[in-house]
Amino acid sequence: MQLDAFQTLADPTRRRIVETLRTGELQVNDIVAQAGIHQSGVSRHLRILSEAGFVSVRPNGQRRLYSLRAEPFRHLDHWLAPYRRLWEARLDRFGAALEKRQKARRPPPKET
Amino acid sequence: MNEKVVIERTYRASVQELWDLWTTKEGFESWWGPEGFRVEVHAIEAREGGTLHYDMIADAPEQIAAMKQMNMPISHKARGRFSAFSPHTRLALTHMIDFIPGVKAYESSMAVDFVPAGDRVRMVVILSPMHDEHWTKMSTMGFTSQLTKLDKRFA
Repeated sequence: MQLDAFQTLADPTRRRIVETLRTGELQVNDIVAQAGIHQSGVSRHLRILSEAGFVSVRPNGQRRLYSLRAEPFRHLDHWLAPYRRLWEARLDRFGAALEKRQKARRPPPKET
Repeated sequence: MNEKVVIERTYRASVQELWDLWTTKEGFESWWGPEGFRVEVHAIEAREGGTLHYDMIADAPEQIAAMKQMNMPISHKARGRFSAFSPHTRLALTHMIDFIPGVKAYESSMAVDFVPAGDRVRMVVILSPMHDEHWTKMSTMGFTSQLTKLDKRFA
């Protein structure tokens, strides 16, 4: 089953795992301890995160180390960009309107 | 997933000046709306739960032409309210989106925080892109309804 980035992160447990991995590479035990999730759940969600490209795993001796991959986050950011741009333009106009009002008020009226 | 878009700007201004741009007729009309549109405020009640009624009017010639070409009115009535209102600190604007053919009416909100720092104010706008997904849907549906109209005309 291939989930898109938003579906993948829609699950609170997976979000917690992703947040835990922000600190860097971890093995399952550490994720279990830091995220406070049962091991079986973590393994299942790590598999889903890995299939969706959020997480990569590399063997290190007997251990398997999990870390975040940048790519899906870039996709998310890319998806959000137009909304940001739309509002950036809007706030440009907000700034321009503000400046116009400030200029209209200058020089300040004399005190009576 | 409750993804938010957060945009912030810092202005060399007083909180009052920024606040006025959101909560007064003249202020709101001076900047609101997408590029190529202007707004005409009919009611703006600056209080918690206060009404915000305005017309969004295509203004720029190319925008007017675009709306006409899409067979859409150049003006539409927008209805909203101030769903949060803490003067000079925070406000939230909730719009009723009830004009999308085939989509049940729903509300869309944005929140704005004002954080003074010295002679500047940081303004933080928090948006929910879920709302805009509906807009995407709307443009698709607008287009579809347009084709339906064409069908009727030529039937």
